[in-house]
Amino acid sequence: MSEKKSLNEKMEELDKKTGWFYSNDFKLEESAEKYKEAIALANDIKKDLNELKNEIEVLSEDFSK
Amino acid sequence: MTTEIKPPAKADIPIPGESPRFTPTTLIAAMNQTLEYAYEGALLVGEVASYKVNQGKWVFFDLKDEESSVSCFMSIYQLRVPLEDGMKIVVRGVPKVTKWGKFSFTVSAIKPVGDGSIKKAFELLKKKLSDEGLFAPEKKRELPKDITKLGVISSTGAAGYADFVKILNARWGGIHVQVAHTQVQGMDAPDQIIRALKYFNEHSEVQVIAILRGGGSADDLSCFNDEQLVRAIAASKIPVITGIGHEVDESLADLAADVRASTPSNAAEMLTPDRESVKYSVEIAISRTKSTIIYKIDDILGRVDEPFDKIRRQIKQKIEFYHNMLFQKVKILEALNPEKVLRQGYAILSGKVSPGSVVNITTFDKEITAEVKEIHERKKVTE
Repeated sequence: MSEKKSLNEKMEELDKKTGWFYSNDFKLEESAEKYKEAIALANDIKKDLNELKNEIEVLSEDFSK
Repeated sequence: MTTEIKPPAKADIPIPGESPRFTPTTLIAAMNQTLEYAYEGALLVGEVASYKVNQGKWVFFDLKDEESSVSCFMSIYQLRVPLEDGMKIVVRGVPKVTKWGKFSFTVSAIKPVGDGSIKKAFELLKKKLSDEGLFAPEKKRELPKDITKLGVISSTGAAGYADFVKILNARWGGIHVQVAHTQVQGMDAPDQIIRALKYFNEHSEVQVIAILRGGGSADDLSCFNDEQLVRAIAASKIPVITGIGHEVDESLADLAADVRASTPSNAAEMLTPDRESVKYSVEIAISRTKSTIIYKIDDILGRVDEPFDKIRRQIKQKIEFYHNMLFQKVKILEALNPEKVLRQGYAILSGKVSPGSVVNITTFDKEITAEVKEIHERKKVTE
């Protein structure tokens, strides 16, 4: 089972996916599929951004002593 | 520093109803015990006079008001703000009587009070630490871009801390924030913050430490000008960002930190990207990709159509050429049409032209038969 990708990893992947469209590797016959993949990844990133929460832990150490 | 109180000798035990009897040693010990019990942690406010340091180790000064003066004593290692005669300070300590019977106040902590003294202490310490290179720009480290572990030193009940958490949560997520709750005001604050810095440096994996405190008076914020605290910030192995007070407030802690934010909220902004901006940039990337695909499709279609366009253009040019040629021929033919000549008033003469012969004359609308009477040479008009 593959490990869940971090937001940064997803952002890097999106950069690669969109970069393909500007590269010499671009092929029209593959573009529709690649575009669908980029859209799905973008939506996934937006979902992650909406759901991201910080974890706030107040340390139990007593710094007054 | 406490003096051991020896039990009084049997002969010195006071008899009920009689006045207590002491030796100098037991009297001083008893007085110190009483003073320590009654005035432990007492704060004494006054103006510094006769400030001096002996043997580089012991600090002596008098603290006075309009009427009285108290001799104060402390170790140089406990002196964390620069002193000068005339400065108004508050000291914490214990009043004591020395073994020579002299009254003195043993100081454990000092804080300047009043804007003038705070500013004076600030400037003196700033110069000292600056000369040591503590605030040198080349010592500053950049904060990591993708923070997942963050240490915060603040008072969890303070408004500044609440502002920081609110902005942090609104802007970004996925950060494990460890919060060291400390005082951020008063004489105990510097040591507590130093302990928290030590904790994060020795026992945590945080990538950045944020020291936060909301706005306050110069006196409230003066703990951030504590020499030991400033040194601890400068020595931190983990990069430190400060968000102390407001934009206009500058502390020595700010100068020693790697990054200074103007407020706790600003610290949250400097530590994290804005999730709405990131979402927007994702949408822009997709939108641009879509435009690129359309452009590339148009480009490919253009390249496919190009040979046919060329042929079409050539055929069109040929047609136009022949069309023009034909038009010119028609014009010539039209110009040569006899009907057109007759319409202009000319006539066509046919038959043998000799005196007495009959000829036919054709005009635009008539056929005429005529007899030739005479023939003369025509005098031509010179062109």
